[in-house]
Amino acid sequence: MQKHSDETLVAYLDGELDGPERQHVEAWLAADLGARDRLTGLAQSADLLRSAYGDIVNEPVPERLIAAARGETAGAAQPHEAEILVLPRPQRSTITMPGGRWGIGIAAAAALFGLVVGGTGSYFASGLLSSGNPAAEQRFAAAAANNTWLDNAAGYYKLVVSAGDALTIDVAADADSREALQKASLPQTRWPDLKPWGLNFRGARLVVVEGRPAAQLVYTTENKAIGPLTLVISASKQADIQPTFDHRQDVNLLYWRHQGRAYALVGQTDIGYLWGIANDVAWQLDAI
Amino acid sequence: MSLGWKEAEAPVRAADRGDPVSQRFSDQLIAVLPRLRRFARGLTGSATEADDLVQAACERALAREHQFQEGTRFDSWMFRIVQTVWIDQLRAREVRKEDSDVPEERLGSDAPVRTIEARLALAEVRRAVQLLPPDQRTTLMLVTVEGLSYKEAADVVGVPVGTIMSRLARARIALQQHLEAGGASRRSVKNAEAQ
Repeated sequence: MQKHSDETLVAYLDGELDGPERQHVEAWLAADLGARDRLTGLAQSADLLRSAYGDIVNEPVPERLIAAARGETAGAAQPHEAEILVLPRPQRSTITMPGGRWGIGIAAAAALFGLVVGGTGSYFASGLLSSGNPAAEQRFAAAAANNTWLDNAAGYYKLVVSAGDALTIDVAADADSREALQKASLPQTRWPDLKPWGLNFRGARLVVVEGRPAAQLVYTTENKAIGPLTLVISASKQADIQPTFDHRQDVNLLYWRHQGRAYALVGQTDIGYLWGIANDVAWQLDAI
Repeated sequence: MSLGWKEAEAPVRAADRGDPVSQRFSDQLIAVLPRLRRFARGLTGSATEADDLVQAACERALAREHQFQEGTRFDSWMFRIVQTVWIDQLRAREVRKEDSDVPEERLGSDAPVRTIEARLALAEVRRAVQLLPPDQRTTLMLVTVEGLSYKEAADVVGVPVGTIMSRLARARIALQQHLEAGGASRRSVKNAEAQ
């Protein structure tokens, strides 16, 4: 029975129990101080574990691994680590691709555990295992997914910036958006018109975010202070959230979820400008 | 207009690096490299071995690119390859486990005591992970560190969800016991030094 109890406690912490099972565990926890202590200890050790491996995703990726991922292992690997990657884009009929450089910022989970690493020190002030937050543990999976999603959105933006005129566009600005967006599970989305903001719609890229297709709408401008701006839209099963500001990989993001869609407006311009554009996008797409 | 989703279902040779689907595949692979390195570090306990493992996994992934199904989770697919390559390596040779990649002697003696303690404790956590059996270590890294659901972890490892649940519980309990034992021994050392 002890084994079963521990399994249940761990599954409870991981958010893997359904409603009745969760209620059963909560009733058990309410009546059993020992179980509550075990739950707290399990939550703390899990946080420590994530902290212990949290910084690895922020390390520069060795160049030999980048080369291996591109099928260039033989002879291409260098002994030193590189923070800048050389990623020549594929040749397409209407696009010429010089060897572009862009940062490793696209790394999907670069900041995945930033939320928990910062709290590490508290464990050592009063012993290795001193406090815990089971509720936070339960929310971890959703937070991690959200972080990965935002890192992807930021990474794809940096790809747009670095590629410049050589950017690969999957759906041209004058194409029928419906066919393209159906492929991205976004059948009813139309292109927001941001010309009043001095932004020209250049086209859409179909990208992969968390294993799901998404659309990255690319807007450009001659105004260097504003720079390009992208809007990533994907299907989402998570609850609606209001527009929220974030900053990662040196770019600003304004993201929100509304009625089964997740949106991320990404750019290097200031947050006030992004807010204005987000309101316009919401009005045009009824997205907030 | 070619959109690149369905095309990925057709076999594409990894050598065709100019192909847009292959380029997209490489982009995805590069994007997930930091997490693969972390997962591999948890499995092997060594930075060097972990990068060797990831490199081998990349090569295998490119060779089997046509097996990846668009619309499924790329990271899970790569975790599975890393885990498979690692198991192959374990079976093929006797693994010489290196100590933690944050050796204690690297810690500067003039660093604040609290920082040293924190880094020692995190190194202790990594050492405790290396004491777990390989199947528990894999499950712990996939679920607790990488954030996969039990179902996703079960798919990666190729076992039922119930097996993941029991392995994870054993791993979490064992880890907690290791940490508590380590913390107790460290406190004993500190007390002895204070006296």
